[in-house]
Amino acid sequence: MGPLGRETWAQRLGTFRASPSAFMAGPEGEDLGRDLLSDLRSEKLSEPMKVALLALSLEYPDQLWPDAPAAEAAATSLLDTLVLLPPRPSALRRPLLLAATTALAAGGALNPASGASGRLLPLLLGLASGRDLGRSFCPASEQRPLQATAWECLRELESCRPGLLGGCLGLLRALLGREGPAQPLSLLLALALRNALVIQARAGAGLQGLLTAGESSMEGGPWNWMLAEEGEVHLQPQAPSWPAAEEDECGLAALELSPEEARELRATVAQLLDASYLLTPVAQAQLLWLLGWALRGLRGQPPVLFKPQLVRLLGTAQLTLLHAMLALKAAFGEALFTAQDEALLLRRLTLAAQHPALPLPTHLFYLHCLLNFPENWPLGPTGEEAAPLLLGSQLCRGLLPSLLHEPMALLARLHLLCLLCVEDEEKEGKGQDRSPRHYLEELLAGLRQRAALDGGPRALATLCFQASYLVAHCLAGQPVVLIPLTQGLAQLYRARPALAPHFVDLLDHVGPELQEPLRVALRQEVASRPGREEALRWHLQMLASVADGDAQSATLSFLRAAAAHCTDWGLQQALLRVCRALLRAGVGGGLADLLQELARQLEDPDGQDHARLYYILLAHLAGPKLGVALGPSLAAPALASSLVAENQGFAAALMVQEAPAPIRLSVGPRRAEGAVPVLRLQVEVLEPVYSLELRFRVEGQLYAPLGAVHVPCLCPGRPTRPLLLPLQPRRPAPARLAVRALYSTPSGLTCHAHLPPLLVAFADLFLPFPQPPEGAQLDFFEELWDSCLPKGTESRLWCPLGPEGLEALVSRHLEPFVVVAQPPVSYLVAIRLPPDSRLLLRLEAAQADGVPVALRTDDWAVLPLAGDYLRGLSAAG
Amino acid sequence: MAQRAVWLISHESGTPLGGIVKFSRRYPTVEKRAKVFNGASYVPVPEDGPFLKALLFELRLLDDEKDFLESRDSCSHINKTSIYGVPVGGEELWPVVAFLKNGMIYACVPLVEQTLSPRPPLISISGISQGFELLFGVQDFLSSGQKTDSELNTKLSQLSDLLLQTCPFGTLLDANLQNSLDSINSASVTHLQKQPAWKTGTYKGKPQVSISITEKVNSMQYDKQEIADTWQVVGVVTCKCDLEGSMPNVTISLSLPTNGSPLQDILVHPCVTSLDSAILTSSSIDAMDDSAFSGPYKFPLTPPLESFNLCYYTSQVPVPPILGFYQVKEEEVQLKITVNLKLHESVKNSFEFCEAHIPFYNRGPITHVEYKASFGQLEVFREKSLLVWIIGQKFPKSMEISLSGTITFGAKNHEKQPFDQICIGGTAYLKTGS
Repeated sequence: MGPLGRETWAQRLGTFRASPSAFMAGPEGEDLGRDLLSDLRSEKLSEPMKVALLALSLEYPDQLWPDAPAAEAAATSLLDTLVLLPPRPSALRRPLLLAATTALAAGGALNPASGASGRLLPLLLGLASGRDLGRSFCPASEQRPLQATAWECLRELESCRPGLLGGCLGLLRALLGREGPAQPLSLLLALALRNALVIQARAGAGLQGLLTAGESSMEGGPWNWMLAEEGEVHLQPQAPSWPAAEEDECGLAALELSPEEARELRATVAQLLDASYLLTPVAQAQLLWLLGWALRGLRGQPPVLFKPQLVRLLGTAQLTLLHAMLALKAAFGEALFTAQDEALLLRRLTLAAQHPALPLPTHLFYLHCLLNFPENWPLGPTGEEAAPLLLGSQLCRGLLPSLLHEPMALLARLHLLCLLCVEDEEKEGKGQDRSPRHYLEELLAGLRQRAALDGGPRALATLCFQASYLVAHCLAGQPVVLIPLTQGLAQLYRARPALAPHFVDLLDHVGPELQEPLRVALRQEVASRPGREEALRWHLQMLASVADGDAQSATLSFLRAAAAHCTDWGLQQALLRVCRALLRAGVGGGLADLLQELARQLEDPDGQDHARLYYILLAHLAGPKLGVALGPSLAAPALASSLVAENQGFAAALMVQEAPAPIRLSVGPRRAEGAVPVLRLQVEVLEPVYSLELRFRVEGQLYAPLGAVHVPCLCPGRPTRPLLLPLQPRRPAPARLAVRALYSTPSGLTCHAHLPPLLVAFADLFLPFPQPPEGAQLDFFEELWDSCLPKGTESRLWCPLGPEGLEALVSRHLEPFVVVAQPPVSYLVAIRLPPDSRLLLRLEAAQADGVPVALRTDDWAVLPLAGDYLRGLSAAG
Repeated sequence: MAQRAVWLISHESGTPLGGIVKFSRRYPTVEKRAKVFNGASYVPVPEDGPFLKALLFELRLLDDEKDFLESRDSCSHINKTSIYGVPVGGEELWPVVAFLKNGMIYACVPLVEQTLSPRPPLISISGISQGFELLFGVQDFLSSGQKTDSELNTKLSQLSDLLLQTCPFGTLLDANLQNSLDSINSASVTHLQKQPAWKTGTYKGKPQVSISITEKVNSMQYDKQEIADTWQVVGVVTCKCDLEGSMPNVTISLSLPTNGSPLQDILVHPCVTSLDSAILTSSSIDAMDDSAFSGPYKFPLTPPLESFNLCYYTSQVPVPPILGFYQVKEEEVQLKITVNLKLHESVKNSFEFCEAHIPFYNRGPITHVEYKASFGQLEVFREKSLLVWIIGQKFPKSMEISLSGTITFGAKNHEKQPFDQICIGGTAYLKTGS
């Protein structure tokens, strides 16, 4: 592909920058790196365009050349491009140097085996040291800027590969003494020196004359990689670089310097520091950090060398310089800063932290520095924010928070104030008119007042709660602060219940010192409400968080009153969440009533179901188990949504498991009465079950679907009452009922079991006719008898009799249906068969082994059933 | 000590994204070091899109404040510095130095040369102050002399080149970007021996030193017996030294006028070579007494070429120069305001200009104003919800002027009207300038 046009490149660069990953995943991604390198040499592209291409390679070498070989190839190509530039001024040389450096360092190709490294390093060093590279390389006018760039490139390479320039220390020192820009050289020398010291200390070696080696050491021969190879270890995650940490980590104490080496080192550092005023403030700060690091813990190198710089630095408003000074303070402590110096530094820091001429971010950073001030003799545990000992309340006066401060400034100052309150605790009661604590209380009150503004921005509310949290955190042990805080927050809730989510959040985060009293106060606050206001939603949310076993009656009566106003789904769910919280807290009696009411009263089916579920859980699970069932599942990560959490909590408990039948069912003796036939099921309990639900299915749709039967609890060995199962036959016929059981086990599992089918006999469907008035029975029967024809049918059959005779048979099987009895001569029997059939029997004079039966029915289909029934009677006994 | 990435984001509330990335720059060599230093706690610098979104959320600059969001509004989510943890792709990028200034968000991610868990204290990270300095430098560069959008765009387009100059590998070399711009433009300047890095060239011509002093008074006046009014003067001394030679030595000495209040809280420019300890310790923290150092304040220095702020100070004057009374009464959509201003007799009654700004926050645009001013005229900036009372070059003989008026506001149109967290309802302030 030929070189791309300017427009195409501009568009490509734009697309790439918008989303590098998307571009690289696209069709053009693969070629971008290659095209870029080749088009850098294209005659068609303008210089600015090429600079833009190089700028891209400075930022995204990883995307363009993703592995070390590609990076190596790219660096080689960039160097070739550089060498091939015509010897006239060009804006490309600088970015090309930077790009080659970036490609090597970022691509991981910087090593002794790399050809590009072997070319770049001597080139950079040559440029930097002002060696004449020949007019063909660059015109004289560009030499100065390129020299500075070369220094920067070397410094970056040294940063990425510590020790790389260890062999050049002598050369760098010599150059620093000559003319030329001091800044890049100073910074590079300081960095290389620091790295060399660290590497040599690890190796247990001295400086081995590195500082005094002449300029010739690096000329001509191959690059000295020795120190860099050892330096590989150095670019590992370090121990805390803040020098106050363990001294040994840096390990410089192990460095054995000969007296001569120590002198040379001192001279080098002094040389660097003396020229430091020539550096820009930010570069001075870097130099101080580097030298501080380099000399920390090094024997025989008194930090006094830094002293002359300090006074100058103390006066400035420059953030980096004060920060560097704090680093020196941390590195050398008392060896560099006496107690008076420490006090002065604190004073300047305090001043800078509030100086009206400085911007807010600077103030905040200085405040942070104050609370993390590297004291000579810290009292408290390290790593915790604390007010330095020498920072008296007088110094802090200007750092007190006020409502007019920006939120961040307010919080930072509030933290300081809290720390002062802790110190002030001992001085309490000594008649101070305006102690920090009073100030704190007024401030918090003001914050609450602002948060209470209706329609005020959420940020104000957030700030108020952050402040409350901070105070509770810092002053947890001071009831004298927490009591008014609790009261104030309760008042805030009263004024603006819409802040409920903030309160819930606060309760979740603060320690028990504030949590407990605040919970009680808020519960009282909510429970005292009439429960029908607009803020109901918030009250319910609040209550779900604070409700517990105490003061149940107030809570419950609030809920009862609220229930009537919970008209939409959201409110109902909120209400139920409170119930759930109460369930977990182990609230019993009153809650059961409420849940039952809710199950009836709530309009939404979901709400009803939940209420019922909670009721069932409450009724059947013991306290600890209830907690398990309602608590979040430990196995699955908790989600923020309460609905999801609820389902997850139940997942384990409600997962239905197949199990062998825990009970046996049988159809017991029936009572022929009522409007419909009712099966009386006998239960034999094999193991304890809770919340049993029996479901029945009629095979063949002979009856209408049957309702489930619920049993709260069954235990083996305890007497059980028979279960009543009403039947609604569609035809008067016997049937089989398939039975399934759903129940909970004592371990909280929900199980499912198939029970053996139940047989409904023909006789189980028999119902008596209403009793006719006394004396009219015969007429009643005859009327029925006549009405069966012509629609129905008549039959005669022989019903065998056992040894007991007819009387016994009738009394055992047909008693409820006898209309007219003239024992032992005849019985007239009328049976109603739901839905609307009848069976009439005339049992006449019994003979030795049987009785003739005349029967009529209005339903043909009944005839064979009746026949079987009658013939089976004697066998049934 | 280096930065992994730098961003400039213009905050545009009301737009779908809430802002636009105007400039970004990544430093892959620093990123590589971050990966090694941070180890398992390393979080890569995200692409611009996701970063923009996450940062705006973290800075509370997205407009959806309606609902409580735990990740933003939780009481334990406390930021006490302008350094944030920005959630990106399930991890948290930290530390992100960021602040909003004049509608522009300045952000960068400093390198931390150790593991990030547990998080080291910010004070131990050298890159933090360097990051601030870089962002302040960019801010100064963008705001210097810039008035229109096109000027801003020109400056933004120069940024890429400037950072290539002052921060080629993520390590800041000079926070004064304007200097670098000058040195690019005058590439042929030959560096003399020991040329300071903060001085891009030399001056040729008539030697002169110009000094100007600007003072600002912050005052709170309560009009109540039991609460004392407060006021403080904040001053800045600006210098421009046009002197020949590579490093001329200059001493600038400031003296107080007769009965002038001592200068306190003095912060100096880094070019000042030494300071009297009396200057270092003079501070507003201490109770005022006669022993306070009252000058002369001597500042020996080696000046840079450009104009610079020699020092900042505060001072306690015995009375505020202008006494003000400002009353606001809210009546439905109308505000009734009354302003009385009185110039103190000790102040010279002659100004280049004098005006009072009366801003209104958290309201709609001004639709109607009726006013009566005893002196001067009133200008109404309807869309900015701002009244400017132009007093002119002097107060009348009585030294007292008053303004009363009724202001009607239109419906609040969220995006454009000035917002303030404090000036809610009847809370308001007034700013006089001269």
